[in-house]
Amino acid sequence: MRFEYSAEESEFHSKLSRFLDENLPADWHGPPDESRDDHWQLYQDIRHGLANNGWLVMSWPSEYGGSDASPLMNTVFAEEMAYRRAPGHDRFGTRMIGPTLMRFGNDEQKAKYLGEIARGEIQWCQGYSEPNSGSDLASLQTRAVSDGDNFIVNGTKVWTTLAHRADMMFMLVRTDPEAAPHKGISLLLVDMHAPGVQVNPIINMAGGHSFNQVVFDNVKVPKENLVGELNDGWRVGMTVLNFERSGIDYVGWARKALDELVEWVSSDECPLDFSTQYSDVRSRIAELDTEVKSARFMCYDVAWRQGQGDVPIAEASMSKLSATEAYVAVLNYGLELLGMYGSLEPGSEDSELQGRFLKMRLFYTSGPILAGTTEIQKNIIAQRGLALPRK
Amino acid sequence: MVRNVADGNSDAVTKLWDEAVALGWSGFTVPEPFGGTGFSFEDLIVLIEEAGAALAPIPIIESAITSSVLDKYAADEIKSELLPQIATGDVLITPAVIERDASWVITTPHMAGTASDASVVLSGEKRFVNFADQATHALVTANINDELALILVPVWNNEGVSKTSLKSTSGVPVANLTFNEVAVTASNVVAIGDAAKLAIDELVSLGAVARAAQLAGLGRKVLEISTEYAKSREQFGKPIGTFQAIQHYLAEMATTVKQVNHLVYAAASSSSQDSYSAEYVSRAKIAASEKIPEVCWKAHQSHGAIGFTWEHDLHLYTRRAIAWKTDYGDSTFHKHNLSRLLGL
Repeated sequence: MRFEYSAEESEFHSKLSRFLDENLPADWHGPPDESRDDHWQLYQDIRHGLANNGWLVMSWPSEYGGSDASPLMNTVFAEEMAYRRAPGHDRFGTRMIGPTLMRFGNDEQKAKYLGEIARGEIQWCQGYSEPNSGSDLASLQTRAVSDGDNFIVNGTKVWTTLAHRADMMFMLVRTDPEAAPHKGISLLLVDMHAPGVQVNPIINMAGGHSFNQVVFDNVKVPKENLVGELNDGWRVGMTVLNFERSGIDYVGWARKALDELVEWVSSDECPLDFSTQYSDVRSRIAELDTEVKSARFMCYDVAWRQGQGDVPIAEASMSKLSATEAYVAVLNYGLELLGMYGSLEPGSEDSELQGRFLKMRLFYTSGPILAGTTEIQKNIIAQRGLALPRK
Repeated sequence: MVRNVADGNSDAVTKLWDEAVALGWSGFTVPEPFGGTGFSFEDLIVLIEEAGAALAPIPIIESAITSSVLDKYAADEIKSELLPQIATGDVLITPAVIERDASWVITTPHMAGTASDASVVLSGEKRFVNFADQATHALVTANINDELALILVPVWNNEGVSKTSLKSTSGVPVANLTFNEVAVTASNVVAIGDAAKLAIDELVSLGAVARAAQLAGLGRKVLEISTEYAKSREQFGKPIGTFQAIQHYLAEMATTVKQVNHLVYAAASSSSQDSYSAEYVSRAKIAASEKIPEVCWKAHQSHGAIGFTWEHDLHLYTRRAIAWKTDYGDSTFHKHNLSRLLGL
């Protein structure tokens, strides 16, 4: 693999960076909070702008509105969006259900939904986890029962990011309760505004509203919204998770946080005096920079292999593992450097860096948990990567 | 109760502290002749550990360490006036020793004191003052004619003292106090010069042992909560506690909690009304500050998504650990102390 951007990647990176300069507010620090109306508006505006520039789905094939950009270009895109903490990167549509529909959807589904995603007009959310089905997803209980031209859906999904802003959900439901757990699941596309869909906010430990519980009470879903074959949803739905599993967002966030720390420590306005421990600070910052950059290469290596037609499953898990660990290490060190100021909540008088590091550290407690816990990633690395025997 | 106070209900703290005072908790480190029980700091550490496990939003540490320092360094007239009132709960003294630079290396405060014959006039700002809403007095560090001083200042209803509340993860009322030409009598100067240096070292060291003890209690509680959850939460048809990854997390947490506990009790047993071992103190605070937050993060990891919610109590422990790990010196501060004591 290459370790520097190609000319094309460099040029794209500059264009995207200029677009974000022009479209993010001048004092933008992020991270975005989509429960705030102004941030949600910004999310939609930027999503639209990205689509107009042909970037939102640039890695898609041209027949679906993309430009066949390489996975590497897509990684450049994701990293810069994360580095700027920019809203508007619709991962659920562009990275998850879109590619799934290309592979498993019928012509009508492709025509209807892929265009909407490519134009940045629609927000999707993902209905997988349930109160009793997290890591053990195949035990999910939400039922879809056939009723003429419809399925009738009953059950509860949980930890659903952006459900309160989403137009559509792609969800896994149980369609054959008699079959073995993996065999009786189907993937449905559900209108979030359909009667019987109720979205209840869940406040996270950072005090924000990012995810939700979604309750389905006799929700009618047209049978044309089944993706792939009936009871083949496990295979269809797992494709989504493979798209989901990359560490590049965490790398972007980690680089940003580390840059902010270096700037803050060196700034004249920094209230703390690090002179007596400056060599410790320098050494730790250098360690973290090394950790972040090695995680970054892992992510680009995964993208490079994907571009060669490989499916680097273990490497993708390694990239997520390294990147989440590097990001958490940066945030932990940030709180340490902030000292007494590290315990001030956002909005407090006299907070430093707007209390962002505390908020981000509390929020990214979820990093090693969601989209496959660290433990699940390690199992994948051991079993798929090292071919160790499964129990 | 804990959430109520963290949301800003300061009156609830006052009420809870009144109940603790009725149980004699404010008088534990006040000598018997002054109406207290005269326990050693070691005796008190058990209680502080439990207060940490319960996240009790009460000024037990602030009260204990300021009364210890007062007993040892203050003039007799101050002792005989205030120590009995500390025991009865009428007086609560809180340390106010941190300034804008947030440093626990307290040698040259910006807070200026102008001394005349019978009084000292103070101006300046102190930050991160715990229980500022409840305290009747603050124990303030200041610079008087280029000499370090520790001064007792009445802050309750004092027109020269203004308060800016902070929103901290400590979950108790924390504020910055600004002193605008506040005059106190000369006898309120608890210590000056070398004596002040010793008194401040003692205040910070006792505070560090106490915060380490709270962290140890908190870590033990978080381990209990996580162990219970691992036994009851089922995935793949069995409790998650049967999975080796979760067992390893809990085993690591249990080992850490034990390690910290030993260091805390060693430090506490070396701390009495008369002396303390600075080495033991720093070891306890280094371990507690670095390892107990790790216990909290592992607890979150073993809880999965449920432990990430506001509704679940786990984040309350994590927030307190974030506040306590830096209070009375973070691990960097104590590593410097310890390495110096080891001859480096």
